Amino acid sequence: MRQPQFIRSNTFHWALAVAAVFAVFVIVLFGFIYWQTDDYLVARSDKMIARQLDFIAALPEERRIDAIEEHLREDSRGVQYAGLFDADGRKLAGNLDRFPPELKMNDAVQSVPIVRTIPSGQERRAIRAIARRMPNGNALVIGREVDEAREISHVVGQALALGLLPAFVLCLLAGAWMSMRAQKRVEEVNQRVQRIIAGDLRERLPHRNVDEPFSRLAVIVNGMLDEMETMIHALEGVGNDIAHDLRTPLTRARLALERGRTNATSLEQLQVVADKAIANIDQSLSIITALLRLAEIENSRRSAGFGSVALQELLREVCDIYEPIAENKNIALRVEASHRLSVRGDRDLLFETVANLVDNAIKFTPEGGKVSIELLRKDKDIVVRVTDTGCGISEQEREAVLRRFYRSDKIRNTPGVGLGLNLVAAIVRLHGFRLVIHAGPGGRVDIICPTDSTPER
Amino acid sequence: MAKVLLIEDDRETAEEITAELTDRGFEVEWAADGIEGLGKARSTRPDAMIVDRLLPGMDGLTVIEALRKDQMRTPVLVLSALGAVDDRVRGLRMGGDDYLTKPFAIVELVARIEALLRRPAESRETTLRVGSLELDLIERTAKRGDRTIDLLPREFRLLEYMMQRSDQLLTRAMLLEEVWNYKFVPATNLVDVHMGRLRHKVDGPDEVPMIHNVRGAGFILRTGS
Repeated sequence: MRQPQFIRSNTFHWALAVAAVFAVFVIVLFGFIYWQTDDYLVARSDKMIARQLDFIAALPEERRIDAIEEHLREDSRGVQYAGLFDADGRKLAGNLDRFPPELKMNDAVQSVPIVRTIPSGQERRAIRAIARRMPNGNALVIGREVDEAREISHVVGQALALGLLPAFVLCLLAGAWMSMRAQKRVEEVNQRVQRIIAGDLRERLPHRNVDEPFSRLAVIVNGMLDEMETMIHALEGVGNDIAHDLRTPLTRARLALERGRTNATSLEQLQVVADKAIANIDQSLSIITALLRLAEIENSRRSAGFGSVALQELLREVCDIYEPIAENKNIALRVEASHRLSVRGDRDLLFETVANLVDNAIKFTPEGGKVSIELLRKDKDIVVRVTDTGCGISEQEREAVLRRFYRSDKIRNTPGVGLGLNLVAAIVRLHGFRLVIHAGPGGRVDIICPTDSTPER
Repeated sequence: MAKVLLIEDDRETAEEITAELTDRGFEVEWAADGIEGLGKARSTRPDAMIVDRLLPGMDGLTVIEALRKDQMRTPVLVLSALGAVDDRVRGLRMGGDDYLTKPFAIVELVARIEALLRRPAESRETTLRVGSLELDLIERTAKRGDRTIDLLPREFRLLEYMMQRSDQLLTRAMLLEEVWNYKFVPATNLVDVHMGRLRHKVDGPDEVPMIHNVRGAGFILRTGS
């Protein structure tokens, strides 16, 4: 037979364990209380017995018998014992028939068994008693029944033990309830999650506005779901963009080929058509390559291969390569890097980043303009700055460029594939650096490298 | 006639490559999977191999590894649809000599195969000579006939690379990778600009041009006359 779910649940097992530990603890506590109470009551009674003995012993010889009689008379509950015996052990007064044989003379209060005569016969009892030899040879015994004290202790113990059972049951019930409640919530969450898996991206986990772990967890997961939903929608948009960008050259290629096939009458005409088609296909391929590269960098975890990269040298190299291009456009390209600074990173990727920025800067700067690459130290940061006298990047585009995947319309419409800045942003992110694109006029892009991750050489 | 072994599982691609290489005067052997390819490599001893990265039966890189274990030093061009930089690095480390990402232009493939077959031998020469062109690698000077050519360091490097591979088609991608150590394709036509400058210096107004632009393909340094 299968046990109910709540009994198999972990929560319930924990509740059971807690209840068991609780029970053991209560039993030990009760034992201790019982022992303490008993001890205390016996000690109190012993003190009284001793005091009584002192009192009677201090009396003159002739008044002792009266005092004993009086003492027993006052005891309405019949728990007191007293006796006066002569040197031969004969009873002179009291309610003890004979001197208890186990009782030691002139000692402290002790437990002794006695035999008492009651109307229905004889009865053995254990009492606490003390005995003392009087100066005239008589023996005085004072005693008291402690069963009464024991009874009180008993009652206390019983009361506590009776409390244990309901406490234990309560524990189990609480455990079962919590277990069922957790089960219910898990089931509820599971249903929602199944709906999300099935494709309903707007579904969220239930949560109450209380400071409760389950709700807080739900809030965290919901936050993650929000982020994912936004990203998936963004990706859909990107997918459409990509499809559009790929389709455009492919459509052109197809049209050219179709028209060429029907209209071309000479080999030369056919070659022109083929060249056009190839150029368009190449353009779509280069978009695919750039996208794959972007994905590669964004998913890359290869910071393990990072080494120390000397920036001064890297910037000079970029400048060296781009100088002729700048000259052709009559643009002054210069490097200002007087510090020898290095960062931790992937040299090829950082080279690509700076080259991309310079490439863009030259592309967007009109003839006769200036482009400069600078290496600066700003407080604790190393800054690589590329400035130009071109049109700059609008605020809208600045934000968009730093977002994943986005492609600016303006960049898209210039020759070459316009994923450059997105690549730059991805590489900068991979390195844990920051990319700052300043407002115009003129373009100014900073790569800010915090130096806590860049040991100086 | 150079023998080329092509290991490629896509029949149509293989047929195109075979046709093009045959037109260029190569003798082409085709294998459709890794195991067949390895067998043919061992039996026919080709001068160069073109190996697809992903093959049925046996992975392209495994084929190369097996050959290298047999002490076969045949130059290998790895073809791959995986364009990631990491794949490229792995392909080259596993014993490939060059790596070409699919899809590629057929001229690019031919140029690279020719480059692999005519890899410049390790030379102790300190002076390179192509036609009337002379490059002193110690003094870092260049001369065409009696005319001294003033070269910037980057131009010197480019000319040195081209002179070691005269009469060979050098594609833009090859030049970017080998001369400038570029691991990516820049947006601007960097190579053309640099080549334009170099050509301006090497080929004087009255001289027979030596640096030739092959349309849609790349550049050749021709010995001339």
